[in-house]
Amino acid sequence: MAKKTDSPRRKLMQPAPGRMDMVFFLVTMMLLVIGLVMLFSASYANAYYLLGDSFNYIRKQLIFAVPGVVAMLVISRIDYHIFHRLAYPLIGISLVLLVVVFFMEPINDAHRWIYIGNLTTFQPSEIAKFALVVLYAHWMSINPGSVRTLPGLAPYGCVLGVFALLLIAEPHLSATVIVAGMAVIMLILGGLNLKWLGGLIAGGVPAGLLLIFIMGKWDRLMGRVTSWLNPGADARGDGWQTLQSLYSIGSGGLMGTGIGNSRQKYLFLPEPQNDYIFAIICEELGFIGATLILLLFALFIWRGFVIGARARDRFGSFLALGLTVQLALQVLLNIAVVTNTIPATGIGLPFFSYGGTSLMMVLGQVGVLLSISRQPKTEEPEEETP
Amino acid sequence: MAIKGSKAPGGRVRLVMLMLGAAMAVLIVRLFYLQVVQADMWKEKASSQQMYSTSITATRGNIYDRNMKTLARSVTVWTVFISPAEMKEEQRELVASGLSEILDVDYDMVYEKSLKTWRYNETIKKKVDNDTADEVTAFIQENDIRGIYLTEEAMRYYPYGNLASTVLGFTGSDGSGAYGLEAYYNKALSGTDGVIASVRNAKGTAMPFSEQQIYDAEDGQSLVLTIDETVQHYLEKHLENAVQEHEVQNRAVGIVMDVKTGEILAMSTKPDFDPNEPSAIYDTATAEALAEQLEEAGGDEEKLDAYYEALGEAQLAQWRNKAISDPYEPGSVFKLITASAALETGTVTGSTPFYCPGYIEVAGNRIACWKAGGHGNLDFVGAIKGSCNPAFIMTGQALGAELFMEYLDKFGLYDVTGVDLPGEATSIMHSRETMLNENMASLSSASFGQTFKVTALELMTAVNATVNGGYLMQPYVVSQVLDSDGNVISSTEPVVVRQVISEETSALVASYAEQVVSGEGGSGARAAVPGYRIGGKTGTSQKLDQEGDETILSFYGFAPADDPEIAVLVMLDEPQKNNQYGSVIAAPVVGNILADILPYLGFEPSYTEEELSSADMATPYLINYGLQEAQSTLVQAGLEYRVVGSGTTVVGQTPGAAMPIPGGGTVVLYTEEGEKTTASVPYVIGKTGNEANRLILNAGFNIKIEGESLEHEGCVAVAQSIEAGENAEIGTVITVTFEVQGNALPD
Repeated sequence: MAKKTDSPRRKLMQPAPGRMDMVFFLVTMMLLVIGLVMLFSASYANAYYLLGDSFNYIRKQLIFAVPGVVAMLVISRIDYHIFHRLAYPLIGISLVLLVVVFFMEPINDAHRWIYIGNLTTFQPSEIAKFALVVLYAHWMSINPGSVRTLPGLAPYGCVLGVFALLLIAEPHLSATVIVAGMAVIMLILGGLNLKWLGGLIAGGVPAGLLLIFIMGKWDRLMGRVTSWLNPGADARGDGWQTLQSLYSIGSGGLMGTGIGNSRQKYLFLPEPQNDYIFAIICEELGFIGATLILLLFALFIWRGFVIGARARDRFGSFLALGLTVQLALQVLLNIAVVTNTIPATGIGLPFFSYGGTSLMMVLGQVGVLLSISRQPKTEEPEEETP
Repeated sequence: MAIKGSKAPGGRVRLVMLMLGAAMAVLIVRLFYLQVVQADMWKEKASSQQMYSTSITATRGNIYDRNMKTLARSVTVWTVFISPAEMKEEQRELVASGLSEILDVDYDMVYEKSLKTWRYNETIKKKVDNDTADEVTAFIQENDIRGIYLTEEAMRYYPYGNLASTVLGFTGSDGSGAYGLEAYYNKALSGTDGVIASVRNAKGTAMPFSEQQIYDAEDGQSLVLTIDETVQHYLEKHLENAVQEHEVQNRAVGIVMDVKTGEILAMSTKPDFDPNEPSAIYDTATAEALAEQLEEAGGDEEKLDAYYEALGEAQLAQWRNKAISDPYEPGSVFKLITASAALETGTVTGSTPFYCPGYIEVAGNRIACWKAGGHGNLDFVGAIKGSCNPAFIMTGQALGAELFMEYLDKFGLYDVTGVDLPGEATSIMHSRETMLNENMASLSSASFGQTFKVTALELMTAVNATVNGGYLMQPYVVSQVLDSDGNVISSTEPVVVRQVISEETSALVASYAEQVVSGEGGSGARAAVPGYRIGGKTGTSQKLDQEGDETILSFYGFAPADDPEIAVLVMLDEPQKNNQYGSVIAAPVVGNILADILPYLGFEPSYTEEELSSADMATPYLINYGLQEAQSTLVQAGLEYRVVGSGTTVVGQTPGAAMPIPGGGTVVLYTEEGEKTTASVPYVIGKTGNEANRLILNAGFNIKIEGESLEHEGCVAVAQSIEAGENAEIGTVITVTFEVQGNALPD
């Protein structure tokens, strides 16, 4: 791939000059605070019964949230163009970690986590998602035409293919779906011919399924599908969790049981602090509260797109859009899973689900978005026609 | 697609935003569907797993006899269940092998239940006793097992087994009374269960800080019965013997009552059942027949159905309290009622003359007297003594249907007794019109106790009124109700329903009834108990509503005859062997019962000289007596003694206390623990009275003579109670039955 830069050489570490997008920042902080409150509410029963300490989860989450916010603010002051340089190192680190993960102790037969001592775990897929966004933004900005030719698309496809292969092997279907979805959407944003998109989906989906089959993960996938269609029939595994999630959501009703008053979190819904935290939110805050939180996420996503649209250059724009899309996909897929709209896969809800490193990654990505927001185009964004 | 400017095309951005927005909208619609449209359904499902109500079982009250001996009590048993959902996978096999060993249940059953991991409660075994429950607990602790639980439950326990089972009844699997007193007093006995309603977590434990409502349990009340365990025991013993000896086909009934109060001291129907295991069949013949039927049925469903039907019928039959549930034709026992009415109204006096040619013409039919050839000339007392049917028919006719019915009513025979037991049947009586028929057929047959039916208890209550001074007493079995702390909540006082006849008439009837037992040629002679004044009346009734010559033999006896206090009614439905008369079969049963219970109840025997020399008496209670004291007691009672051992205190005696011993018999007193002296029983069958007497006395035993009077010519021993050649303790009373062929006996 030809290496051209679309921006003048500059000191990459210089502080970003402008004001950051306050709406985006405030929405982020609101989501973070509500997320922490709801995490405490959802987690204390489990923490009390299983760990003997009601504050176990919220304490650990706070330990990451506070430095996470600091990191976010620090990153927001770093010129995002540094990621031009970091694109390949990040991809390299991601690949190494995605291989290292296979040497880690599996949880539930899946190699998804890397242990950092006894302190915490993190998923290399989190880094991989970010690295892929950076790499795609880098390529699409230095060579805008690349996405419109088949040879130009090849590198994108190759990197995605390698990532998907490693993620399926873990196996980590949810991360695979997010990475693939995010990649496709970025290519669409980059100007991918929509006719090709049809071909890409027509070819990519069967190819993905074939890959899953060849790698022996077919049963796992079908198990998910079965318990999605009929959660009662497989009450032991995911079926139980899905069913309990529906009990939680449904029993919340319009107004909810009130914050702290979930009954389902008392060991009925397994790990209510993790992927299924939104079910507890639905139970406690009702349809109204849950919808308000979804709208807050919508505002967050919309603002992320605005930042992308106002970015001063293609790299900033694609980076902002890619990161926003990635977070949006996580939110949508998480809620779709929790409401049993799609088959179950393990995706946390950004800002809400328990997981320190994941929260730090999200806050770091928001930091990058804020950094981009500090360098808007000088003129008002013009309305463009396709 | 043109790319202008330096950033992503706005159209593409809008497209993606639209896609994401659409996805968001879909999810909000989905939430609306779940949380608003389907909310009620999910709420219901969720609360069914979240709400948890634990019931606090009220302890069922006990049932005591009149001396506070426990006849029924609730004991704690445990139900062992597993919660597969909580069980560790790798512990399943350990759990299955451990539980199958401790609880003696099938390994596979436990293992299969442990695989139902969506279940929180799979019962493994119920009614586990405390010790076994402790073993299970130890097993859980030793192996650190999750998912085995024990819950406490109350089980009914009847310490005396079969004793008074048809009165007590039993409790069903749910712990509530299913039959008898347990059913009748179920509400008082069971108390009120309490409830703890709470919200629970998925492990079943109540959640902290959650609202919890506790309604305390109110323990059941206890019953103190009028039943006396000892009296009941004697009654059942003799009734059981009678059923066996005479091959009673349709169960036998015995009731012991306090005639002055209406208290039921004992009530039994044999064969009965053990309320600890009410479903088992206790009549050997029936049980064998059922087992055969089951074997024959094999896998044939129709035959199996028939088997279960037969089993159910057999169960119902053995549970039935025949004394109150099955009306029967009372026969000649009823003559005391007719006599009372006739004496009270002045229709007859004791000396009113009758002539019995052996039959009487009524409405063109000849009704025979039981005594072929008739009683000839006799007075009314003689008619009672000899149970003369023609004399009683004449008495009934003289009394008239109106007065007769009036007295039936006054004696409560058109009603029920109102006893505090479930399932009391009403009597089956002639209609007023039938009774008033000019041909007097119904009146005539009714006047000697045929062609109508009353229950044994109803009859007894009425007959009691003829001898107790004329008072119809309401019978009852519960004397006191106690709360769970033992405080008396209510006491039953004797209820006089009404005075039916005067005290004078009643005294007359009692004295005539005494003649039945003690008078010369009295039909109830076999109910006599040495040392006591016994009154009574025999009864033999044909089952007129059945083909064949099945009979019901009965005897009503009471004591002391001069001031009646205790009455015994025995009724044997369809005895097969020696199918004769109430006087032969039922009277001695009552006599034996009275002989046992009168000393126990504190009635002092007073022997006539004649009795002292020959008649049976109850062996005095001598255990723990000083040797000298025991010896003087025996001498005063006209008995001999023989001392075994060199101690100074009596530690054993043969015959046992209250056992009958012939007057002048020898009581063996043991003064030391150790082997009792035994001897071989001689063979006396076919021997005359004198020979048998000599053989048995020489061998060191006592002889009791039953059957025909030895004065009869050609009277020989036909049975001996202990077989020849068997070893028995010296001093044991051997009953020898003598018989003369072809001799008619009174009804």
